[in-house]
Amino acid sequence: MADHTVPAGGGSAGVKRTHRHEGPKNHLLAFALSIVLTALAFLAVAYGIAEGVHMERWFILTFIVLLAFIQAAVQLIYWMHLKDKGHGFPRLFIAIGVGIAWLAIAAAVFWTWW
Amino acid sequence: MFLGAECVLFGTLFATYIALRNNSMGGPTAQDLFDIVLVAWATLALLVSSLTSVLAVQAMHGGKFALMQFWLFVTVLLGAAFLAIEIMEFNHYVHEKHTFSSSAFGTSFYSLVGFHGAHVTFGILWITTLILQLFKKGITAVTAPKVFVASLYWHFIDVVWVFIFTVVYLMGILG
Repeated sequence: MADHTVPAGGGSAGVKRTHRHEGPKNHLLAFALSIVLTALAFLAVAYGIAEGVHMERWFILTFIVLLAFIQAAVQLIYWMHLKDKGHGFPRLFIAIGVGIAWLAIAAAVFWTWW
Repeated sequence: MFLGAECVLFGTLFATYIALRNNSMGGPTAQDLFDIVLVAWATLALLVSSLTSVLAVQAMHGGKFALMQFWLFVTVLLGAAFLAIEIMEFNHYVHEKHTFSSSAFGTSFYSLVGFHGAHVTFGILWITTLILQLFKKGITAVTAPKVFVASLYWHFIDVVWVFIFTVVYLMGILG
């Protein structure tokens, strides 16, 4: 009888941990994703400037900028823990920072080309 | 909070660079200067160093002191390798007459990339001192958050670099 209760108690203690640290699996996945996204961007440009290739410049440009944003999102979410619970304030501050950064870039682009 | 402010700082530097990048005043342009292979190596060094800093934090959570110190040390080494490549690169550019004061392109380029390099330098010093302190004090309630925060800062440097290699180097090579 006593044997029966001990493992059950051990099991519920494991469940009670509120802040779970993930294993290395997610981090390795984020790393692999980053490497693939980076390699894609470099290859796209290497291909774009290769001789005999007549690809639209704006297409490669859009492609690599898109890749950069995906990679930044992957790293922010997995490595900088923005998806974790209880990270409301860091998330807010980063969002404000990114927002103002965007404003500055949009202003500069608007200012120079239009 | 601090990293939010850093976003604003780099955002404005990016904005300046994007606005001025084509004003090379007859000097070498981005297309003449940048070497895609060298940038790829620098990028790889920084990306792997981001992973090793994650592994250091993981080792810390597992209470593996020696392993944590090892990964932190590898992170510092990779950061130094990145910095070495960047210094070599800047030195080469100066010989090609692409300097801070040669054109608006030069000024905005060195402001943006140099500022990132300064952040890497600071990160290296930070993590090095952290390693020394950890040897002295071990993993405690005081030192553990420090490792975590340093790793966050290091990731942030990596995220900024993602935009630098895309906007500055790849877009520059593309012309």
